[in-house]
Amino acid sequence: MEKNPLEALEAIKKESAIAIASIKDRLSLNEVRNRFLSKKSELSAIMGMMKDIPNEMKASFGKSVNELRKYIETKVKEKEDEFALKELNEKLEKEKIDITLPGRSYERGKINPYYAIVDEISEIFLSLGFEVVEGDDITDDKFNFELLNIPEDHPARDMQDTFYISQNILLRTQTSGAQAHKMIDNSSKNELKPIKMICPGKCYRRDDDDATHSHQFGQIEGLVVDKGISLADLKGTLELFVKRLFGEKREIRLRSSYFPFTEPSVEVDVSCSHCGGKGCSMCKGTGYIEILGAGEVNPKVLEMCGYDPKIYSGFAFGVGIDRLAILKYGIDDIRRIYTNDVRFLKDFEGK
Amino acid sequence: MKISTKWLNEFVDISDISIEELANKLTFAGVEVESIEKSAYGTNLVIGKIIECVPHPDSDHLHVLKVDEGKDGIHQIVCGAPNARVGLKVIVAKEGAVLPQVTIKPSVIRGVESDGMCCSLLELGVDKKFLSEKQISGIEELDESAPIGENDVLGYLGLDDTILDISILPNRSDLYAMKNVAKEVGALLSRPVKEKEFIAKAGLKDEFKIEAHTPKCPFIGIRIAKGVKIAPSPLWLQSILTRSGIRSINNVVDIGNYVMLLTGQPMNMYDLGKMDDYSLDVVDDYEGEFVAMDGNKYDLQKGDLLIVNKGKPMCLAGIMTSEYCAINEESKDIAVEAAIFSGASLRHTSARLGLSSDSSTRFTKGIDPNVNEYALEMASYLLEELCGASTGKTYYSGANKKERKTISSSLSYINGRLGTEFSLDEVVDVLTKDHLEIKTLNEDEFIATIPTYRIDMEGEADLSEEVIRLLGYTRINSKLPTTALSLNGRNEEQTKIFSIRSFLRNVGINEALTYSLISKEMNERFLILPHGEAYKLINPLTEDRQYYRRSLIPSLLDVTKYNLDHQAEDFSFFEISSVSSLSSETKKYLGLVLSGNERIEGNMKKRPYDFYSLKGIFEGIASILSLNEGRYRLESINDKEELHPGRSAGVYIGKNLVGYFGELHPTYLKKNGLSGNVLVMELDLSLLLSMKVSQTKASVPSKYPSVKRDLAFVLNKDITYGEVKREVSRIDRTIKKVDIFDLYEGEHVAFSKKSMAISLTLLDEEKTLNDASVNQIIEKVISTLRIKFGAEIRS
Repeated sequence: MEKNPLEALEAIKKESAIAIASIKDRLSLNEVRNRFLSKKSELSAIMGMMKDIPNEMKASFGKSVNELRKYIETKVKEKEDEFALKELNEKLEKEKIDITLPGRSYERGKINPYYAIVDEISEIFLSLGFEVVEGDDITDDKFNFELLNIPEDHPARDMQDTFYISQNILLRTQTSGAQAHKMIDNSSKNELKPIKMICPGKCYRRDDDDATHSHQFGQIEGLVVDKGISLADLKGTLELFVKRLFGEKREIRLRSSYFPFTEPSVEVDVSCSHCGGKGCSMCKGTGYIEILGAGEVNPKVLEMCGYDPKIYSGFAFGVGIDRLAILKYGIDDIRRIYTNDVRFLKDFEGK
Repeated sequence: MKISTKWLNEFVDISDISIEELANKLTFAGVEVESIEKSAYGTNLVIGKIIECVPHPDSDHLHVLKVDEGKDGIHQIVCGAPNARVGLKVIVAKEGAVLPQVTIKPSVIRGVESDGMCCSLLELGVDKKFLSEKQISGIEELDESAPIGENDVLGYLGLDDTILDISILPNRSDLYAMKNVAKEVGALLSRPVKEKEFIAKAGLKDEFKIEAHTPKCPFIGIRIAKGVKIAPSPLWLQSILTRSGIRSINNVVDIGNYVMLLTGQPMNMYDLGKMDDYSLDVVDDYEGEFVAMDGNKYDLQKGDLLIVNKGKPMCLAGIMTSEYCAINEESKDIAVEAAIFSGASLRHTSARLGLSSDSSTRFTKGIDPNVNEYALEMASYLLEELCGASTGKTYYSGANKKERKTISSSLSYINGRLGTEFSLDEVVDVLTKDHLEIKTLNEDEFIATIPTYRIDMEGEADLSEEVIRLLGYTRINSKLPTTALSLNGRNEEQTKIFSIRSFLRNVGINEALTYSLISKEMNERFLILPHGEAYKLINPLTEDRQYYRRSLIPSLLDVTKYNLDHQAEDFSFFEISSVSSLSSETKKYLGLVLSGNERIEGNMKKRPYDFYSLKGIFEGIASILSLNEGRYRLESINDKEELHPGRSAGVYIGKNLVGYFGELHPTYLKKNGLSGNVLVMELDLSLLLSMKVSQTKASVPSKYPSVKRDLAFVLNKDITYGEVKREVSRIDRTIKKVDIFDLYEGEHVAFSKKSMAISLTLLDEEKTLNDASVNQIIEKVISTLRIKFGAEIRS
């Protein structure tokens, strides 16, 4: 029986709604698509009935058919997306891994705290335009003592206990000799340039090894020589250094001291980072911890090294690397630094 | 050095400032106060007299005492001291007294009530070393004149004192004298300092001949004192010595020590009765035995300063008197000496003999050259007053007065050096308080006259130090140096070493630090790189640390062993440090140890470290050093006891061996208590860094396409890939790259054979290679492989 196209359209609408609602899987989805959207579908056929439609209704009929097609298409697409998402989710679910298993081992090696300190301090002074010189562990009397204003019978030699290789050759007891080397290097070439340098290095003293003493230890010597370098420059430089190394809140204070190669000489204390200066067991209740020795370069040293003390002045400082490592990282025993136990090193990450 | 604040107060008034504040001021001025201690401690004490002493009914050693405590009444005390007796005046700690160890409470001891305790000085906290056996074993026996009922017992004993233990810097030897400590305190507190005057009667006419025969004794002065009565020192003197850390001996010896403590001038006393005549000579050419008053014999050499009487040794100058002429209970007539001896000479003698004393310490640090006359006068006065002696005038050899030094300086110098803005008045004022005489020349310049005890002050810089240490370092306002720019920073070598260190850590290797000094045994190992004779210490502390190392590997293997012994597995270390030997300059070596496995996915997937791990690491380092493959070559090392003969290589640049790496020899591994898989590498970084490398230049990628062909073949096992690569590479200029991508030994090839697969990259920079020419080249490769290596082509 020939259907009225409008009725036919109504019928398709109803049937399609039922069919769409009953889509369960991709198979039924394809059936619906074929049935309602293919070229041979009833909906396509219905367009063939256009000729039976009165002219004035053609436009609205065409529009209704298209709307129905769009509607079915949208619904089918929605279902299809729904299936795709479901399938994807199932796939992803299957692909799930144990994220707690170990990663590919790109483990970095750790750094001995000694070198961590050397690197950190070097970086600070390099940023200030200093150069880093190294010097030699094996030196002689002249550079370790004489040029530093420690002549043979100077009482200050009581403070030194030196490893000797021969009468004259010895293992350096401090890195201060680097001062003399640098100045003599320049003056012997007649190049009395300003100097800004640090010298990190190993030193040796005849101390029995225990928790707080080591026959080998590290020191960093610093030296600035130019016209008009004063203690105020030293204080400013060390403040900068200490704040960078221990934190912005740290303060320093200077105490009078004695080193043969500086005059005036000072001990530099830094406010305790543990208690913030209130006093605790770490700073023995004083609020401050002694970290380095410094001073204005003794004019005799300048003179011996070829820098005229009437024209040039300078400051120098020397800081114990092991001591800084112990303070900064709370190391309980200096020997740990030289033992290289992997369980100890694991906490130190190099830059 | 122990400073009695009570004694100090006799010279400079410190009664109104706290000890802590004083200590703080001293410390910041460079006189570090290491400790503050009470010389004795006790509350609720009183002086009492034992008026009855009967045995305890229920004890064989206790006594029951009745002690008269004056206005506090008579109390019964049970006492265990063996020296308790009727008539003895004692220190009583009353009910509620707090002593260093105990608090006194009324108690019943074996049924007898006891109300207080009779004390020894030990129980009041006086250090044992200042007390005699008798004082330690019993209660303190006070003098008969002690006032019964006196409550300020510590004050009566002179023990109401606080002692500062100061650490004296090597340049401040003047502070070994109390009078100079007082001056320092006076300068710090801006207070006047009293000097004590002593004038001896000095009526004796006896003559004395004294002569120094060496410039090492620029001055020596002698005074005779006759008819001394040796006895215990009065309480005040004993107490000052005790509080200053010196044990009281008798009045004569104590006077010597007292004068030394006060003036810094060491005093020596000779028993004139033991001398052949009234003469002494200072010599430095004596050789022979010397018996010191400590009872020990010492061998003296030429150069040792000695004081002799008619050629017989009397005193090792400035160090110790001989046993022979030391003062003893029988001494009657004595000679007192104050001299100046060369500190350097004494230091040598003292160090060689291992003998030092309070007096040698002062001489070696340096003494005031002008204090000797004052010291002799004081000693003579005290000998007259305390020992009933008659004294004579000073006989001396040398010049006993030294001019005071002057230093010219200026305000601008001082401010320039310190970075301060002090006024001239301020500077003059502080230096004057510091006991310098200042004469200003104009608004800027001045001349400072230095007191002779400040032997440390030599130049303008010293003046600047005095100014700032007394005015305080807080007066310096920080600034930063303004110097001209210069090209500093890391140099090329330092940059490369920094990169190598980062690279090695980034591939998982720990950076270690080990000792440079090693044992003889360790120092004979891994001498694989060129080396000379080792540096050996002449004064090592232990045999373990006697040589400066020539290789880093023994130390790193020590670290390896330590970690293996502590249950670590799978670890690696490197260290960049100096090595040195007599015939070569100090060099920087890189040492590296791999142990166990390389972790790929934690412990789930691991691969044992092997030769190729080392080779890869080496190639990484070489690339940082810009050394391409053509610059170095590897040669097998098979003759070192430390290394596996089949799995080790030496790295050569030209004729130079610049490094080596490989597996440890299994025998060596075992012998050294190591286990598992251990590999080492050592590189002469100094040499590698000194290699000239060409500048980086960009290459232009060819516009013609390259062609890749793979070849697989079977050949004898003993033919290396290196040989194949070298041969194949030189067959044709278009062969740009030869790369191995597979290697197989096993059941699918004959026992003595292996299968190798290589890929060739061919490129002609001038034209596109066509099939025909590629095939022609490949044919050539195949025939070369056949002819040279007997290879059998598989594809």
